Amino acid sequence: MTVKDRYSRQTMFSAIGDKGQRNIQKKKVLIIGAGALGTANAELLTRAGVGHLTIVDRDYVEWSNLQRQQLYLERDAHDQIPKAIAIKKHLTAINHDVSIVACIKDVNASNLEVMAEGHDLMIDATDNFETRWIINDVSQKLSIPWIYGACVGSFGMSFTVIPGKTPCMNCLWKAIPFQSMTCETGGIIAPVVQMVTAHQSAEAMKILVEDWAALRKTFVTFDLWNNQFQSIDMTKAKREDCLSCGKERTYPFLDYTSGMKTMVLCGRDTVQVRPPKPVDLNINHLLSQLKKAGYKAQANPYLVHIHYEKERMVLFKDGRALIHGTNDMAYAKRVYQKILG
Amino acid sequence: MIQVLLFAHLREQVGCENLTIHKKQMTVKEFKELMEKQYKLSTQEVMIAINEEYATDSDVIAEGDTVALIPPVSGG
Repeated sequence: MTVKDRYSRQTMFSAIGDKGQRNIQKKKVLIIGAGALGTANAELLTRAGVGHLTIVDRDYVEWSNLQRQQLYLERDAHDQIPKAIAIKKHLTAINHDVSIVACIKDVNASNLEVMAEGHDLMIDATDNFETRWIINDVSQKLSIPWIYGACVGSFGMSFTVIPGKTPCMNCLWKAIPFQSMTCETGGIIAPVVQMVTAHQSAEAMKILVEDWAALRKTFVTFDLWNNQFQSIDMTKAKREDCLSCGKERTYPFLDYTSGMKTMVLCGRDTVQVRPPKPVDLNINHLLSQLKKAGYKAQANPYLVHIHYEKERMVLFKDGRALIHGTNDMAYAKRVYQKILG
Repeated sequence: MIQVLLFAHLREQVGCENLTIHKKQMTVKEFKELMEKQYKLSTQEVMIAINEEYATDSDVIAEGDTVALIPPVSGG
């Protein structure tokens, strides 16, 4: 067996074949989020030989991730490596032919459009609805399909949005759900991640080989512990007056205002603070300044971990910070400004 | 008889996984009102499917149908 054979079992599968494989190797996929769904989808697409992967994530590896976020190692959690950096390293070791761009970044209304340009598909692996609504609008605006996936507890769901063909997320739920279950509040078991990923990556492969007729078309939802399964026909969900995909669309979720942004990360007792424009911090310089000022701080090339009174703050090179131990946005902003001025 | 399937945390809110409603016919809107009144279930953000087909408020649920309540989930 040689390297030439690496895709043989996939090309023997008649719906892919040599032609499908050539297509897969030409395609570019954007994966938003490098947590449980992000690592699992990225690994499958990398093994399948996708041409290019862009992966964006705003977080770093923690011990509580290792139970379900495949690819990450104890070393990554110990060293608090940003997920984007760790995932790229592990994926490259699996298949060096795949071109991989990994960004440590918070996806928002002002940057996703530029990031998504030129990709053939977006895979949703985020943990919040705000980002999904932005993905949904960018998908419609640039006419790039995206695959929604989410899970909590033993419950998972997935839906493939094809602009111009299927309903979009905004048709389905009409507004960003106010209260939704997250892994931090409802826990999660690893098999449900694998099941959602299986649905997402199978749909992804159909899109990459351009077998449009094979797409599932239904909204699939299941509970692996309680043995429930539904595959829902969504034809009727498409709304002509939808502001994201209808006739008079405005892409309401791409409307953003600049300024310092703070947001509570749902269920995590953490506030994210983002400067108006990304900056490029000198980590070593900052670390020595902080130590001089009496803070407890550690750093790796991508972030500084600072202890401030009862709170912990993780500051990334682009100026974005996660302030752990609080849900108070005003307080988080004060902590941030006290440290960064 | 209308069969109701509850997914995710809705099961815990209601206290069981399946419900049976003894009605011949009702609209989705009436069904939601019943769920809110009887089980204190907030249905505003819940997706409703009748026999595995997406349903809107004006759709009619008839005897023998299975109605699924699917709440939005954001984990990943």
